[in-house]
Amino acid sequence: MNHTQTKNLIELNNVSKSFTLASGIFQALKNVNLQIPKGQLVAITGKSGSGKSTLLNIIAGIDKPTKGTVSINGIQVEKLSESALATWRGKNVGVVFQFFQLLPTLTILENVMLPMDFCNSYPKRERRERALALLEQVSIKEQADKLPSTLSGGQQQRAAIARALANDPPVIIADEPTGNLDSQTATSIFELFSALTRSGKTVIIVTHEKDFSSYFEDVIAIADGEIVKQTVPA
Amino acid sequence: MQTRYYKVIRDLTSDYSKNFMLVLAIAIGVFGVGSILGSYSVIKREMTDNYQGTMPASATIEIEGQFKKETVDKVKQISGVAEAERHATLLARMKVGEKWYPLLLFIIDDFKEKKTNKAFYISGEQEPATGTMLVERTAFAMMQAKEGDELIVKTSNGTQQKIKLVGTVHDPGLAPAWQEQAGYGYIKLSTLQLLGETQGFDQLRILVSENQYSTEHITEIAQTVANQLKQSGYEVHEIQVPPPGKHPHQGQMSTIMTIFIIFSFLILILGSILVATSMATLMVKQIRQIGVMKTIGATSSQITGLYLVMITLLCFIALVIAIPLSKLAAAGFYNQIAVLLNLEIRNSSIPVWVVLLQVGTGIIIPLIAASFPVVRGSRISVRVALDNHGAHQQSFQRNSWGIKFSQVGFLSETFRLSIRNVFRLRSRLVMTLGLLAAGGAMFMTALNVSDAWDENLKKIYVQRLYDLEVRLHESIQADSLLGKIKTIKGVSGAEGWNYATTSFSKSNAFEVTQTYPDKSHGSFTMQALPVPTNLLKPTIIEGEWLNNNITNDVVLNQSSRGSLKVGDMVSLNIDGQATPWNVIGFSEDVGSPAIAYVSLEVFSTIRNMQGQAKMLRISYTDRSRENATIKNREIEALLEVENISISATFPVWLLRNAIAAHMKVLVNSLLAMAILMAFVGTLGLMSTMSMNILERTREIGVMRAIGATPSKIKNLIVWEGFFIGAMSIFLSVALSLILSTYLGRLIGNLSFRTPLTLTVSLLAIGIWVLIILLGSYIATLYPARRANKITTREALAYE
Repeated sequence: MNHTQTKNLIELNNVSKSFTLASGIFQALKNVNLQIPKGQLVAITGKSGSGKSTLLNIIAGIDKPTKGTVSINGIQVEKLSESALATWRGKNVGVVFQFFQLLPTLTILENVMLPMDFCNSYPKRERRERALALLEQVSIKEQADKLPSTLSGGQQQRAAIARALANDPPVIIADEPTGNLDSQTATSIFELFSALTRSGKTVIIVTHEKDFSSYFEDVIAIADGEIVKQTVPA
Repeated sequence: MQTRYYKVIRDLTSDYSKNFMLVLAIAIGVFGVGSILGSYSVIKREMTDNYQGTMPASATIEIEGQFKKETVDKVKQISGVAEAERHATLLARMKVGEKWYPLLLFIIDDFKEKKTNKAFYISGEQEPATGTMLVERTAFAMMQAKEGDELIVKTSNGTQQKIKLVGTVHDPGLAPAWQEQAGYGYIKLSTLQLLGETQGFDQLRILVSENQYSTEHITEIAQTVANQLKQSGYEVHEIQVPPPGKHPHQGQMSTIMTIFIIFSFLILILGSILVATSMATLMVKQIRQIGVMKTIGATSSQITGLYLVMITLLCFIALVIAIPLSKLAAAGFYNQIAVLLNLEIRNSSIPVWVVLLQVGTGIIIPLIAASFPVVRGSRISVRVALDNHGAHQQSFQRNSWGIKFSQVGFLSETFRLSIRNVFRLRSRLVMTLGLLAAGGAMFMTALNVSDAWDENLKKIYVQRLYDLEVRLHESIQADSLLGKIKTIKGVSGAEGWNYATTSFSKSNAFEVTQTYPDKSHGSFTMQALPVPTNLLKPTIIEGEWLNNNITNDVVLNQSSRGSLKVGDMVSLNIDGQATPWNVIGFSEDVGSPAIAYVSLEVFSTIRNMQGQAKMLRISYTDRSRENATIKNREIEALLEVENISISATFPVWLLRNAIAAHMKVLVNSLLAMAILMAFVGTLGLMSTMSMNILERTREIGVMRAIGATPSKIKNLIVWEGFFIGAMSIFLSVALSLILSTYLGRLIGNLSFRTPLTLTVSLLAIGIWVLIILLGSYIATLYPARRANKITTREALAYE
């Protein structure tokens, strides 16, 4: 691992991604070049089908590019095998979904402990304490022993963020994390993300919400698989 | 415990109904295998132990006249002979109510020091005094008597005598009395004399000292003994060497068990298909969760491990339920079979290998069945897993025949949609159809085969055109007697036949047969009949029936044909005399031991007894059992007036009952299998249907949102179930025809050496159609209700 090569945490070079559909080959991303430095809160915006989710998936190691290289924290992600990628992702990228995606049969606390179990990252005895601390950080510690279905949407999303933080990853990725929440709850979630960047995390969010543009240090607009604008809001 | 295993436990405990189905599917298979193999292993061991415990004679040598005590002692000195004992067997008759039944009398030389074919003492006297007898435990029912009662007995030469029943024994070498429709009694020689017989001990039973299970060795020793007896002036009549170490019903037993084992493994396979289908659906529901787990860092092997632990736990629960239950069922089974084989279960422990096999099959087969969907699910890429929304159209092609079929004009929109839904998940459809078709095929096969049995039994009346067979003590000039019998009202025909025990002549000097001590199992008889006869119509399968009364023609039945061909010359022993015969045909007789049919005229010429008969066969215009019973009594009265001594009478209905009783256990167990199959099949349909609907909860929400009424949705689901059921019926009928043919052939050949004719039970098809239609209705009812119960909003949000 060579961290001195670049000051950017995330670097995409000439990344293309195509899908084979019944109607032919669909080019979701076309020669995308992107650099994101450490500790930023970055927004990716674009219309439905523009390729923003594909871009996010590639950064998260959920999907692999058809062409080009993806380097995160100095690791060439596209070269990892499926299982190495899973472990790498568990430790380096925390993912927050629009529909929360907490495992329905585990309590909130267990959901947060699960990534540590899969990646074997913290000593077993410390996992519970750590998970509780994370839940406290997202202000739902008192809900720890409840099942996800008994929580409100905002609470579930907080739990999902706590889960994303479980292995202390440098990168947090969120796909429309507030798309399913009311505006007041959404604000508090953005506050949370903002606080995370202050503690040194890099947070990348796919979002439609214009109201929260003040939070972002960088906005990447994407259309038809290409980055059309990369702006730093005033 | 690791956090991920909490998920396993919660998943198992959160969806009881579906997990219950899985456990049930595995448990049924394990239960089937365990109960059948368990009872099989116990019966096999106990049958051998029981039978061996009686010290069955290796060979029996029959002579004219009687053995002296010194001769027995001399035979014991012959090398290779471990034990020798005098014995006699006599077929007498007993009167029960107003009917006469055969009574097999065993005349024992020394009750205290019995050496061969021992009967186990149960109660009463150990040694019967003169004028009394011991009775085999199963014979009391036939005698309608109990210990201490008196029984009217008549031998050929004697008058009716009252014999007191003073003790009970158990003889595992004999079939239950009700199966043979005869009585069994054990008496001293003095009692036989009291009954009016003058014969002495005309049998010598020997035990060989080594190679007890080699027929060749036993025959060799028996022939040495016979030679020595001949030199001492005895006229040796026959040597009987029954299959060594084999219970007379071993063959019948193997048939039943073979079928059981085939069925139990089929059940296990069905159970596994059910498990595989259920697992596949379970995985569909879990795919998104797999995606999430992979996103947060789980590797494919961690996920595979997670689900395999889950299945192993399910298997474990299934085993815990099924193994004790299968032991109970096995006990029920072996006790029932023990009654049918007249066995006493002394050690009821089921061998460890049965339990190990259950554990093995109950874990390994479901694991294999589940490993496909599990591995596929865990290998799926994270993106695909996260995008998964249950059932979707990727496998549905625009121009598939499913669509074309559903476009037939007269069908309603709902019905069209039902048909298309059926074809959405092809692999699951194939598994469901396979499960239902297999279940249905086995259900129908079970009933078909049991019907074929009944058909075969009916053939008894078709082949035997007589209703009563009277065996006479001696050959008589029968013409005038037959004339008198024919004048009895209701008698439609009467013929005088003759018979003798026979065997194929070999180069050796003595006649060697395979007859068991009950004189019925393994026997080979020559029947001489007037050509042409009006009272027998055998099914000729090759060659022709006897048509010339003066040629040495012989027709052999399936039990005596061996590897002979039409046109072969055979040499048959009659009273120790080898006689040449020309084989002209082969017949298939239902319920007959080995028989060689010859012309009475030729037979009489050979034995120099023209015009004589030793067997009367009589037919009645009304063949019902009630009428036959009355007529039989009239004929016996006539014979008594004519002072003709009868050795035995065999009404045809009695024979039919005896054969039916022999196979009762088979038919009953086939029916039990049929019910189990129907159960497994319906279960499979139910689980598939409920899973199909569960997956489409969101879609149903969409349909409701665009205006589908609850009854429309219910119709849609119910039609889908009906349609799958209907498709399976065609498959199962076709499959059942193939299975019935093979199973009928197997059972027929094993038990009667003739295949059962393929019989299609319309009732079976009818019942199965009903089960399927009802089953699919019930199976869809719950998911349909559930689909309608949740609100449209919930359905749309359902993942």
